[in-house]
Amino acid sequence: MKKTKPMVINGRQVNIRPEKYFWSDFFLVLPAVLLLLLVTYYPVAELIRISFTDWRLTMTTAPEYVGWKNWTWLFTAKTSLRYLTNSLQVTLIYTVCNITIDLGIGLLLAHLFNHLTKPFAFMRAMIFMPRYIAMSSCGIIFLWMLNTDYGVINKMLEWVGVTNHINWLGDDNLAMVSILMLTGWHGVGYCMMIYLSALLGISSDYYEASSLDGATGLQQFRYITLPLLSPTTLFLFITTFISSMKVYQSVDVMTSGGPRNKTAVMVYYIYDLAFNDNRIDRSAVTALLFFAILLIVTASTMRVTNKNVHYEA
Amino acid sequence: MTNNMTAVRSPHRRIKSGLIVRYILAVIITIIMVFPLFWMLSTSLKTEQQVMSSRLVFWPTAPQWVNFSYPFQKVPFLRYMLNTALITIMQMTSELLLGILAAYGFSKGKFHGKHFLFIVVLGAMMIPIQVTFIPLYIVIARIGWMNTYLGVWIAGCVSSYTIFLLRQSFMTVDDSYIEAARVDGMGKLGSIFRIMVPMCKPTVITVALTTFMGGWNNYFWPKIIIKVQDMYVLTVGVQRLKTSYGNDATANYHQIMAGVLLSVIPVFIVFAIFQRHMLSGFTKAAMK
Repeated sequence: MKKTKPMVINGRQVNIRPEKYFWSDFFLVLPAVLLLLLVTYYPVAELIRISFTDWRLTMTTAPEYVGWKNWTWLFTAKTSLRYLTNSLQVTLIYTVCNITIDLGIGLLLAHLFNHLTKPFAFMRAMIFMPRYIAMSSCGIIFLWMLNTDYGVINKMLEWVGVTNHINWLGDDNLAMVSILMLTGWHGVGYCMMIYLSALLGISSDYYEASSLDGATGLQQFRYITLPLLSPTTLFLFITTFISSMKVYQSVDVMTSGGPRNKTAVMVYYIYDLAFNDNRIDRSAVTALLFFAILLIVTASTMRVTNKNVHYEA
Repeated sequence: MTNNMTAVRSPHRRIKSGLIVRYILAVIITIIMVFPLFWMLSTSLKTEQQVMSSRLVFWPTAPQWVNFSYPFQKVPFLRYMLNTALITIMQMTSELLLGILAAYGFSKGKFHGKHFLFIVVLGAMMIPIQVTFIPLYIVIARIGWMNTYLGVWIAGCVSSYTIFLLRQSFMTVDDSYIEAARVDGMGKLGSIFRIMVPMCKPTVITVALTTFMGGWNNYFWPKIIIKVQDMYVLTVGVQRLKTSYGNDATANYHQIMAGVLLSVIPVFIVFAIFQRHMLSGFTKAAMK
């Protein structure tokens, strides 16, 4: 058995005796940990290895090591830069918009539905429900609703005078708007529920005390609600950020990256490199870059916002 | 006196009118949010003429239930359902079983490296399938698991999120229960499944529901692994319906919607039954 390290308590070195060691407890966690290592950690290591080879999908001979070739391709080649910057840009636009929609509307809805009666509970459940329906099914519903000639949205727009049918999914800018509509509809209920539960956790004392001091509703929202919701906002920001960066399903179903790559997000690009260009090696470097961006942004948001987040005592 | 009465009543009235505005707003938003689902149902009951008409038909007077047979005739829809159900059950079983065992080990177990291994588990949450799919695909292809249930299952066989949530819940159970069970001669597995799991039932149900939804709605990985029609899962299979009518895809949206509706019915049923657990479960996750 391993010897325990001496610990320093009150300036004195104390040797804490090891607690009883149970092999059986270790074996309880072992299968899960081994499988996690196999399906998440090992692929990342393998991804790094692949990024230094010339691996093609259709290759019959063993791949060879080519050094930093793929990495220089990623950051210097014209074709790479064009598609990479495009996909980064598209993903960033999507992520920023999606976070704004989900968190902004989610917070507004949480205020509106913060009413503890039966009808409101029912309506909350209705708003929350889309989240559980597969994005691929929702995508087809929206494809149909946004259909240029027969879609219900264009027909309703006729009522208000927009008679020339809008080509939602074929337009450079509207294609992204369409995807945002779909994913916003899908995700806003979740943010509402999380915000709502946080709102219920805020003690009414704050509001009573502040209204005695003459604070208006808007002031209360600005100086009480928002600061006390900041841990929730941080949680939602990080989870929505990660899920937005990973967006693929909605794009694949709605636009397949088009028109003219205007919705070709990062994951779509990585997938495309691997399975349509057959360039596993290039796909691997791009995937690693994507992973690095995910990690860096998540870690830095946590670090920066941790200082500005208010936790209720 | 009368002046006094109005002075008392007026703020009350203001609150009441505020409530009416709130109700109206809430109902409008709910209608907007439910509309796409209503439109799916309504379209699935229309005739081709109604789908292709320039006039908007909100609800068909003569519902065409026959549309629901189309997915079964055109694509092996029953097979899709079966595949999805099987893979979902496999994933639920392994995720829950491994999750419960690991959660017990991480919450009540005593062994060296417990903290380190737990950090390994938490770290896995940061690595999405969208990053790891290429090496996983290569491995699956090499061991011949392409187009198999096992191939789809393996990527979702264990979830660090499940382990984390269950562990947080198991931590709240007092050690004395386990001690008492041990004194009474109950084994470790017995105390896990007959004490811990029943005592943390709400979390276990929530986690089970999350894994069910995750399995049923999974798209990215099955799309990569399964290339044979007969092995498709529903999420990938319904996409086939889009192009099942030849070139003019819009003409049969009534039949496509029937297929989409059939594919989401199980989710509706589960949502209706376990709605409360789902809502509370997410709240719990956010609070951690």
